[in-house]
Amino acid sequence: MARLNDDAQWIVLMGFVVSFSLFFLAIVLNQSVVVGQTTAEAVSEFPKDDIRSVRDVIIQSVFLDDSGTTLNRTHVQNEIQRLSLSRQGSTVNFSSNAIAGYTNVYIHYNNGVTIYNETWTY
Amino acid sequence: MVNSCGQLFTIEGIAASLIILMTAYIVVNNTSVYTPGDTHISNMQLEVMGSDALRMMDTSSNGTYGKTPLQTIIEQGDSDTFSTMFLNIVNNRTGTTRDTIQFRANVTYLMQPDYQTVNSTIFSNSSQSLIEGDHAVRVSEWVIVDKTPKDFPECPGMLSACSGKHAVLVEVLLWRD
Repeated sequence: MARLNDDAQWIVLMGFVVSFSLFFLAIVLNQSVVVGQTTAEAVSEFPKDDIRSVRDVIIQSVFLDDSGTTLNRTHVQNEIQRLSLSRQGSTVNFSSNAIAGYTNVYIHYNNGVTIYNETWTY
Repeated sequence: MVNSCGQLFTIEGIAASLIILMTAYIVVNNTSVYTPGDTHISNMQLEVMGSDALRMMDTSSNGTYGKTPLQTIIEQGDSDTFSTMFLNIVNNRTGTTRDTIQFRANVTYLMQPDYQTVNSTIFSNSSQSLIEGDHAVRVSEWVIVDKTPKDFPECPGMLSACSGKHAVLVEVLLWRD
């Protein structure tokens, strides 16, 4: 090679710039697909409906009549704890105490990944 | 001697081929290929729809105080009404064609008389049964019923133990056929 022709280097340079920018755009688009999937995974993983449902039924159970031989509240609350553990794999704990005319209901939910605590007052 | 003219055209050719490759990559990558890993997305939507349906069934009509349809269904062991109602809610679509979601519902409760043993019975089924390859999701709803449902076998003969309110868990597996 006696003499290197170095004309029009700009064209080469622009070629590289364009190809690299397209490469990075491709990476961004590629990641955006994965984002949709991990979002769906996270939504499926989070026990939103389990927590809402068990919270509802615990609050309902607080108002049950516990007198006589039927022992409604005792039975229902025992059933909530046992069925949560065996069917949803979650530990559910709750207690209530009355302070100065108000009653606090402490609700605790733990399925090993998600922990939820609430104090519900009426 | 090798002629070294026209190197610029060679380099330009390489650059152009890179651009073409990248464009092809982007186009192919963006046409959605539905891999098994992506079923999370439709599973999530199915799960949301199922729990919404159960929640609707566990809401008394017009927001009045009283028994919800789901409570009545469980107390009477009315699996036909459950099936009709549930399929109606989940399969309704805009337009006249209906969706093809199938389900299998279980009711789980504590057995009489000592309330220690957990028992689960199949409560209601849709027309198709769950076969291998169906991606089913599970939704559940708590219901407090006034008595242990009449279809549950250990109840007869222990009428006193059957009375009173009990919490049962309604679990539904649902999948798109």
